Formats: sequence, C-alpha cells, structure tokens
Amino acid sequence: MSATAVDQMYSIAEQVFSAMVDGDVGPLQPWIGEVPAIVDPIVGWVDTHGGWTGRAAMTTSRPVAYDLTRALLRMDAHEEVGMEDLVDAYGELVNVVGGNFKALLPASGTLGLPSVANCLPEVVWAVPMEGLDLAWRGHLIIVSIWMFG
Amino acid sequence: MTLTSDSFDFVADLVRRRSAIQLERGKEYLVESRLAPLAREAGIGVDEYVRRVRFARREADYEEVVEALTTNETSWFRDAAPFDALRTHVVPAFASERGRIDRLRLWSAACSTGQEAYSIVMTLTDVLPGTPVEVLATDLSTQVLERGRAGRYSQLEVNRGLPAAMLVRHLQRSGAEWKVSDTIQRAVTFARHNLLDAAPAGAPFDVVFLRNVLIYFDLPTKRAILERVRRVLRPDGFLILGAAESTLGIDDDWDRIPVARGSVYRPVSRVSPAQTSPFIHSGSLPLGGTSAFPIIPRQGAHR
Amino acid sequence: MKALVIDDSRTMRRIVGALLEPLGFEVHQAGDGQEALDLLDDGLEVDLACIDWNMPVMDGIEFVTRVRSNPDRRQITLMMVTTESETRQIVRALAAGAHEYLIKPFTPESIRDKLELLGLLGSEEPA
Repeated sequence: MSATAVDQMYSIAEQVFSAMVDGDVGPLQPWIGEVPAIVDPIVGWVDTHGGWTGRAAMTTSRPVAYDLTRALLRMDAHEEVGMEDLVDAYGELVNVVGGNFKALLPASGTLGLPSVANCLPEVVWAVPMEGLDLAWRGHLIIVSIWMFG
Repeated sequence: MTLTSDSFDFVADLVRRRSAIQLERGKEYLVESRLAPLAREAGIGVDEYVRRVRFARREADYEEVVEALTTNETSWFRDAAPFDALRTHVVPAFASERGRIDRLRLWSAACSTGQEAYSIVMTLTDVLPGTPVEVLATDLSTQVLERGRAGRYSQLEVNRGLPAAMLVRHLQRSGAEWKVSDTIQRAVTFARHNLLDAAPAGAPFDVVFLRNVLIYFDLPTKRAILERVRRVLRPDGFLILGAAESTLGIDDDWDRIPVARGSVYRPVSRVSPAQTSPFIHSGSLPLGGTSAFPIIPRQGAHR
Repeated sequence: MKALVIDDSRTMRRIVGALLEPLGFEVHQAGDGQEALDLLDDGLEVDLACIDWNMPVMDGIEFVTRVRSNPDRRQITLMMVTTESETRQIVRALAAGAHEYLIKPFTPESIRDKLELLGLLGSEEPA
C-alpha cells in the first residue's frame, strides 16, 4: 500500500468530515492500534465505471452510522433517526468521500449512485487496493478501495 | 467555567449574521474551545470574555470572535469588490493617465496564505495579458508565508470564493490538493514583514492591498501605518482597504473614490500624472522602533 | 429570491436548503433533473438552481443543457453542487452552461462566497 495514497485518502476523509459532519477538524483521527472486527456492521459503497473500474466502501457499526446521520442532519443526540434517513445520509457521506477519491485516480471514470447494506456484496475479481482505518469520536470506520479486475 | 446560554446565543447570532454558519445548541464545546485562546489572552474565562465583548461593542472584537469560530480558511476573491475595482477602475485609470502600462508592482499586506496575492495576479492576467505583474505578499507569520509560497490548496480552500473558470484555468489538481500554475506563482514573492516596522523593500508600489488589518490597531498606529503606506505608494497609486475600513478620520491625505460597491483611495497630494517622476523610496523611515508598539494580534490569520 | 435544490440525496437537499434559507432564499427541492424540469414547467420561477451531477432519471448536466437551451429560463443562475472534482468535469459543466461550480464537501462559507460571486447575496450585514 502506498503511503502517499493513504495520506491523500486521509486528507480527503478529514475534509469531508470537517465540512459536513463536525464543522471542525479533530473528531476524526487515524485509528491507532489493533483493528477489531466491527459488530453489527453497516456498509456504504459507490462504484466507478469506464476509465478506472472499482469501488470505494465505508464500513462502521450501525450505532455509529446513526450518530453520523444525526451529525449530518444537525439532529439532537437522542433524536430518533428513521431507516430512510440513515440510508440516505450514510450513502451521501460515502458518495462524497468516494467521489473525491475518484479524482486521485489516473484515469477517472463515471461515478455511480451510492448503495447501503449490512455487508458488501461480493464482486468476482475485486482486488483490495487501499485501506484506511479511522477513529471518529473514538469509533472505528474502515474505508476501502477495490479494483475490479 | 462553562458558557451560559445567554453568551452562547450572542456568539451564535453574531457568527450566523456574518458568516451564515449556524451554531446550534450542542455546539457549546466548539465555541468554548475556539474562544479559549482569546479569553486566555485577556486573562479571563470564556464566558467573562464573551460578556466583555458584548459590553465593549468593538468591531475588532466581533471580527476576532467570528474569525475564531469560522475555520481558518481564507477566501480567494474575498469581498469581490476590490478585484472588480482593480479591473474596472484602477487599471483603466493607469492606462489613461500614464498613457501605457509597462509593468505593475503591487503589495498584498497581511497576505496570510496567499489567496489575495494570487487573486490579484489572476485578475491582472485577464485585463492586462502580457504585462509583467509583480506582487509582494507579506505577513508576520512565517507559517502562512510557507503555505502561500507552496501554492497548494485543499479542496475546501479552493471552494472559498475562487470562480470555477479561474480554478480550471489557473490551478491544477495534484492528489487531494490543487496547485497554483507556475506562471501565476512566479509573479508573487512572499516575505516576512511586520506592519509596525518600516515598509518592506520593493517600493514604489502601484497598488497596495491592506485589508482588514487596520481595525486591529489604535488610532496613532493606524495613522503611522497609513503614512508609511503613502510613502511607498507611487503618487498616482491606489490603496485598497477592507470593506469596513476607511482612511476617514485617521489620515486626511487620502482621496476616497467610490468604485464598484466599495472604495479605493489615492494620495491627495498627487501631482498631475504627466509630471510624475519615478518615486524613490529612501529606505529608512524616522518612525519609532517596533519595541514602542505591541505585537500585532494574530495578523496572519485574518484573510 | 427563490432557489431550487436538485439532488437525489434528501440529506444533501436539507443541508443546502438549510444554508440558503438564512441567506434569504425560499427553497424548493427536486430529486432529479426531470423532477426539477417538471416543477419549472408547472410555473415555478427560481433565481438559483443548485444541481447535483449524478442523479437517477436525469443527471445534472442534462438538466443544465435543457435549461440553457430555453431562452425563457435565462434568468436562472445555475450552480453545480457535486462531488465530481476533476478539471475535465468542471470544464464540461461550464461548457454545458453552468454559471458556477461548488465541489462537495463544502463549508457554509463557501456557499456564501459563491453566491457573492454570482451577485445573489443580499447585503444582510449586521446592524
């Protein structure tokens, strides 16, 4: 994995979170130490076609995704979040992160629409390219990039 | 010491009116952490600091609070009007009065991370293609000067007031950042300078941008700075101040010219341009040393 | 003034709308380019459209092209608000007729800056 690419991915994630989620840098940090398995996961992804064909995905646990949604929609800490809002907000966050990753690629393609599910659907020939482990307010978020062979 | 809801509401309202940033309840931690340095400087708690600001009703305090609460990004064509003035008034005035414009030298004072200096070059590249343009960009902070010199800006930074057409013309994508083109970059020289010291080398200047800086100084200091600027400005040159600033009531030796939703200033005593000889800067100015003045408060952060 | 926010994400429509309202805009929303065109056809008149690029049914570029080909809609200022951030994409959008281009993610100040550039910001200075 190239350090430069990971640095650039981190820089993009930091900009997206500071502008859209937190209003400031600080709550998002690189994950330090061993990476545990994510319990009750939720994953959002967006694909690019034509030019470079692949996928950017973002996985975290469901309670964290609810908190992200509340932050994005400027809701109170314990306000009820509906499933539709969760899927839409988490999907849009993945879309913005993934769309900016696309600009790092040598031959950029067309961005698809984001999807959200419990687990990442398997794609034959998908090769993991880069991975970034983040701590948002101390909770694990894993960002990954896959190339479709 | 925690922020009272009354203080929070005051800050939230001030920031909302001036920046469109919404600080909802629950963002108290943000207000406290961002205002902590200002409060510390004043030797009091954050809540006490906010109450003082409310009571004093000083423009400079308001600016500092808003600046502290808005992320430290600088705009490109900040306020737009000064750049319109450059294009629609300053350049045409030089062209008609001087007959021809061989080259232009400008000074971007308190330049922060360089967006103003680069915006000046982009504007002049459009109106005076082929004419050599040199911009001296100065600031107190070596940190911001280094960033300006590198000419690399994040996605969030290029989103701040840079027209899309200028972005694609004058910057190239470079990884997660955007880099100013070599041509534009070469026109700007970055140097450290304190406005309380003698003017920087490189005079005379055709135009001086001195925006949103004077508000931080007391009257005698403002007067001294304007006087030094007048000495390094060509007699037919222009001074451009911030939208909320003016020479009125500070220094009477300036003509205020209303232009493009704002104003520009020219030295009063200027002689007929046809008789103007090249202005020679003596280099040393008989003004008090830096020690007589306090350190400029956070000069680098204000652009 | 009136604004039409066109984005398939209702999260993004809410975020953009919440930033435009305090700047004096009456905000209308559409989930894709076709829905937006239908609103205009039904008589909705707006000063500003904030347009996402990638949307189902009709994308933002197609919407911009359609609006610009209609002389009756010349008064609408078109601003792309999208995650597409390569130079070639920005050039393509400007060539299609977009007046400005804001890349996601953006801060509240950057929307304000763009509106100022476009001359759409009322002078709502504090007293």
